Amino acid sequence: MAKIIIDGQEVECRDNIPVLQAAVDAGWDVPHYCYHPGLSIAASCRLCLMEMKMPHPQTKEMGWAPKLMPSCQTPAREGMEVRFATEKVQQNQKNCMEFFLLNHPLDCPVCDQAGECHLQDYSYKFGDPESRMVDQKLKNPKKDIGPNTLLYSDRCVMCTRCVRFTDEVSGTHELGLVNRGSRLEIDVFPGLPLDNPMQGNVVDICPVGCLLDKDFLFQRRVWELSTASSICPGCATGCAIRVDHADDKVYRLKPRYNPGINDWWMCDEGRYGFKYIEDSKRVTSPIVRRGLDATSPEWADIPEIVQFRFEQHVRENGGEKLAAVLSPFMSCEEGWLLIEFMRETAPECTLVMGPVPMEGDDQSFPVGATGDKVKFTILNEKCPNRRGVEMLLEAAGGNQCSFDEFVEKAGGGSFTAAWIVGGYPKEWVSKELNKATGKIDLLVVQDLLQNSLMTSAAFVFPACSWAEREGSFVNAGGQIQPFDWATNPPEGGRRDGQYLYEIAGYAGLYNGERVRKLMAAKIPAFKEIHEPPVRPVHAH
Amino acid sequence: MSWITVNRNEPAIDPNAPPILSAALCEKIRSLFPRYDTKRAVLLPALHMVQDGLGHIPWQAMKEIADILEIHPSDVIDTISFYTHFWTHPKGMKVITACRSVSCETMGGVAVLLELKKQLGIGEHETTPDGRFSLVTEECLAGCDHAPCLLINEKLHRCVKVEDVGRILADDNNDRISQKRSDLFDAPAGDSKSKDVSGLESTSDVAEMKASE
Repeated sequence: MAKIIIDGQEVECRDNIPVLQAAVDAGWDVPHYCYHPGLSIAASCRLCLMEMKMPHPQTKEMGWAPKLMPSCQTPAREGMEVRFATEKVQQNQKNCMEFFLLNHPLDCPVCDQAGECHLQDYSYKFGDPESRMVDQKLKNPKKDIGPNTLLYSDRCVMCTRCVRFTDEVSGTHELGLVNRGSRLEIDVFPGLPLDNPMQGNVVDICPVGCLLDKDFLFQRRVWELSTASSICPGCATGCAIRVDHADDKVYRLKPRYNPGINDWWMCDEGRYGFKYIEDSKRVTSPIVRRGLDATSPEWADIPEIVQFRFEQHVRENGGEKLAAVLSPFMSCEEGWLLIEFMRETAPECTLVMGPVPMEGDDQSFPVGATGDKVKFTILNEKCPNRRGVEMLLEAAGGNQCSFDEFVEKAGGGSFTAAWIVGGYPKEWVSKELNKATGKIDLLVVQDLLQNSLMTSAAFVFPACSWAEREGSFVNAGGQIQPFDWATNPPEGGRRDGQYLYEIAGYAGLYNGERVRKLMAAKIPAFKEIHEPPVRPVHAH
Repeated sequence: MSWITVNRNEPAIDPNAPPILSAALCEKIRSLFPRYDTKRAVLLPALHMVQDGLGHIPWQAMKEIADILEIHPSDVIDTISFYTHFWTHPKGMKVITACRSVSCETMGGVAVLLELKKQLGIGEHETTPDGRFSLVTEECLAGCDHAPCLLINEKLHRCVKVEDVGRILADDNNDRISQKRSDLFDAPAGDSKSKDVSGLESTSDVAEMKASE
């Protein structure tokens, strides 16, 4: 750790990190565009210049150097003294802002970035309201540079973050700097568009409205969006994300800083993979069947009906005829509540880990990197919580079997009652499973999308998508990461946690954190949760 | 304000087109690999070879250079577009360089440039369809005392007026140096008599100096 003095205040920071990073972490809102902690340092925007004390070349006496230094490129050293709150520094910020706005179009009313634009923020905070530009603005073209991205080069401030991203993080090199001087533009080679599994990140790191997401383009003004902290359910990496939503509709996902897991990034598969939330095949209300009679009772009555039917079944057929299939899409809390209910009803019941979807191979970035050089990995295990469910099963002990064994046994008539949890965003019910469940009298299907199991089920419960639930997922690295709900379940639906909470015999409202504490009291492995550090609002 | 839009998903080159760089040229580029630590470092020499060989570097050649050096073609266009020496389209027989700096601008250089664009029917860094002229601008031609000036290949036209442009373009010898040497011109060593060098065939100062050695 080094102690440096910023504007007369002592600040402690790690040795050799850029002074800018130390200042931003300590609460200084130092304007910057080109600096990004996840990329190499370009020192090209000149907004973060600071005054620094240096020894006089002859007398060796320490004094403020006449030249301004880029704080992003100056490593913090013990005892160094810098200052930002001076006229010289502020005048430079004003001049830089005037320069950035020279050719910038005044199209904020139609710009997607408006409201979260650092050109707007910095212009307001550090810029000068007057521009001396009297000439016609240079007009660069708006370019379609790939399947998911637009590049409005007239709005660009040439921070080159996106170019460095494709060079250093995704390793795909699609973006380059074309031409020179005032004609400089970000561009791709015609016919080789920006198309890699991580390209959505260039939109996040663009400090202005130059790079735009086609998926979110003109969908919603950003100040109308609310935000929930969440974890991406796309794969076992468990990227920390934020869900931006309004009017119970998810509009976009953005990564949250989560060092060691996803750092600043997320993949496109996760970013655009939330569309199944609005699938027309979603199950929205519970169905209870007795014989040929199907009803959709009030949610308040359901816990009693379920408890009664299960107890009756166990009395008649014995507890070992009972099974529960847990899904790797469940949160730990939901899984724990279900196990609590099943084991309380019949301690000898069988617990089963549901099918784990695997697709292709792991993808590492930068492309071709191995070992320490890997900056991001998309895992082939396309579910968020296999490890969490495994931890629960390990703690629960007792009768357990694999999913294939369950299908085989159920086909042979070993089970007469089963609770099957789905929640998969894709079709997952196999022919064998469909056939095997025909022999189960009391079948509970808790799933997101309608499937063939539901036609014969005694109970159908609508499962919610992860954006509507709260709880925690355990990622491939074993970190327990809590997530919040963003939107409400579709009309008629209810959060899985809520009805499982009531069925398991608890009263009141389900709360992820409270249930996690109850769970941790019984299973110590769940005591330590991982929550990413909160970055200051002005860090970007 | 009208929007200019460009679709970059459309390829600039035909994937089935035959290679544009000859096998010999490719081999020459590869022969430089041992000189540098990385293949990427051969980019500038390779661009020089292609520019000299073809007269310009078309999209297809950029792709081929990228393939040889194992880099992304966007890195090649990145470098090419930085240097005005490299042409991405065929260079005209005569390159007209107009000055866009202060002295020429105050003396009416802008009007001359506009007149040139009008008469040639091309913009900056473009070539006429018949391949005779290319038009570029530079920051200074070192002829501020004769502003506004134009450089055609190696001949400097001084104090150009808008009405002169037509005459200069129509002149076949507009790029030939034909001024007489003054008496103060240093005669080459070993030659006691001053030689009349006017009316030389060569249009190049370099060739002229070589010839007089």
